[in-house]
Amino acid sequence: MSSRMEAEEIFKGLSEAVIAYDEDKSVEFAKAALENDVDPTDAILKGLAHGMEKVGELFDKQEYFVPEMLACADALNAAVEILKPHLKIRSEGPQVKVVIGTVEGDIHEIGKNLVRIMFDAAGWEVYDLGGNVKLERFLEEQQKTGADVVALSALMTTSMAAIPEIIKMIKSAEPRVTVMVGGAPLSWELARKYGADGYSPNCGTAVNDTLEAIRRVREGHGSWER
Amino acid sequence: MTVTDRAMKLLKGETIDRIPLFPFILGFCAKNAGYPIATIYQDASKSFELQTFTLEQYSFDWGPLYGYASYGTWEFGGEIKMPEYNYEQAPFHTRFPVNVEEDVDQLQLPDPAKAGVLPIAMEFSKLQASNQRPISIICGGNFSIAGNICPVETLCRWMLKKPELVHRIMKMATDHIVDVVRYWCEAFGAAQVIPQMWEPLAANIIISPKQFERFVLPYLVESSKKILAMGVQHILYHICGDQNKNLPMWTQVPTGNPGLCSFGIDIDLSVAIEYLGENNVIIGNIDPIALLSETPDTIYNLCKTAIEKGKSAPRGFMLSSGCEVPPEAPPYNVYIMQKAIKDSMASG
Repeated sequence: MSSRMEAEEIFKGLSEAVIAYDEDKSVEFAKAALENDVDPTDAILKGLAHGMEKVGELFDKQEYFVPEMLACADALNAAVEILKPHLKIRSEGPQVKVVIGTVEGDIHEIGKNLVRIMFDAAGWEVYDLGGNVKLERFLEEQQKTGADVVALSALMTTSMAAIPEIIKMIKSAEPRVTVMVGGAPLSWELARKYGADGYSPNCGTAVNDTLEAIRRVREGHGSWER
Repeated sequence: MTVTDRAMKLLKGETIDRIPLFPFILGFCAKNAGYPIATIYQDASKSFELQTFTLEQYSFDWGPLYGYASYGTWEFGGEIKMPEYNYEQAPFHTRFPVNVEEDVDQLQLPDPAKAGVLPIAMEFSKLQASNQRPISIICGGNFSIAGNICPVETLCRWMLKKPELVHRIMKMATDHIVDVVRYWCEAFGAAQVIPQMWEPLAANIIISPKQFERFVLPYLVESSKKILAMGVQHILYHICGDQNKNLPMWTQVPTGNPGLCSFGIDIDLSVAIEYLGENNVIIGNIDPIALLSETPDTIYNLCKTAIEKGKSAPRGFMLSSGCEVPPEAPPYNVYIMQKAIKDSMASG
């Protein structure tokens, strides 16, 4: 890619490379962005993140599945590695800090990892605690990082029972923090019953669902409807 | 009629007095008798005893059973941890045998007499035999074992980037299933053994129907054919999660005459019957979350609907929870399943 490229062409190339989970192409276009003086933040937001948003939609429509999602994330991450050293601090779009993890008693991390990928792609600051996370660790990490959101995942009916305990812990110490929940046994109804601020049925909608929940918490809406 | 007569008659195609209640209930049995959940998995004799209490209390028509969804990790050289704390439901893996490509070269077929949990499972099956219960060994499904040998996310990446590695692990899992079932058949006689294969990881929330067709189906067919060739008459597949797009392919998996297929809430029983009812007893599919958190009335209605749909299954139907009954489920909700069956018989 030696000839001069327009920024729009690079954004499109990055986006398409992510959607096609083509790591070589995403790296190629990331290098082209630097060679053509395209702002690396724009390359991430208008190229890579845009592509990942489309990937989320494809996942939501069951056109993509976990293997494709992971491969798309790999293509995105490979390009981000090239662009990261050249990033200038710039605040654009919602800057969200999230603590995320799978709750105690549960080692299932796939769903949580897919949601983390979408949060990363949106440019959010993500603190991933991993799987089988002790209840009190979520609040500790939120207080340490000043996170706006705590996102809790569970796959088992037993581990799901930890969620209301964690929410109680967080809300009594940090009522302005938004708590999101997700995972196979959860639902809108259970999320609401447990005192969560929001629920996301899958990774494809996780970013928007979380933004919506943050808005509700900031506007002081105690309850939410679906 | 003994505990399992009803279900056995159903398998033979004989008339029975009511729909059997099939148990998918493990940790609940421990708590129900005042024991920690780990007892179900660590101690064959106690597990059998505790399950027997609960199965009798709620008039289940099958079991006890021994098995868990993380099967395969320990047997292939990884490590698992028994449930210990409040929020833990079943054994789970703490170290996978395969994490990187090179680990695949080190994989060896486990010895079914010695590997991992199999000695406990064998002790349990001896109790099944001496108590005239169906002899089951839960040792699959093929893709779920593969996902317990190697993290599922790694398997998923390899499906696209290094498919030959996925095939090697799938072949290893398939050979292992056949080895284990053969070992059980030698111990008890093939006609007595009803292997159970739980296949949650093949759900379409994880892999696509095309990936199922390429990476899972050929191995399911291979192990099933080999198991039936040993003289096994029935195989039970728990087709867990949303596998609606895989269902047409499941019809290619031989399961015996009849086989048994159980389903979770993501597959409508009428659809399950349409695809698999001709050759299989259909089992399912009361929502475990409902059993945990809904009212008895709701559970009762769910059961009534399931029974109504199940009645049209040509090879028969057994009512069951769609996946394991949550250990913390209110006991009355568990009782309601049997009540719904009895009421449905009374009302014709």
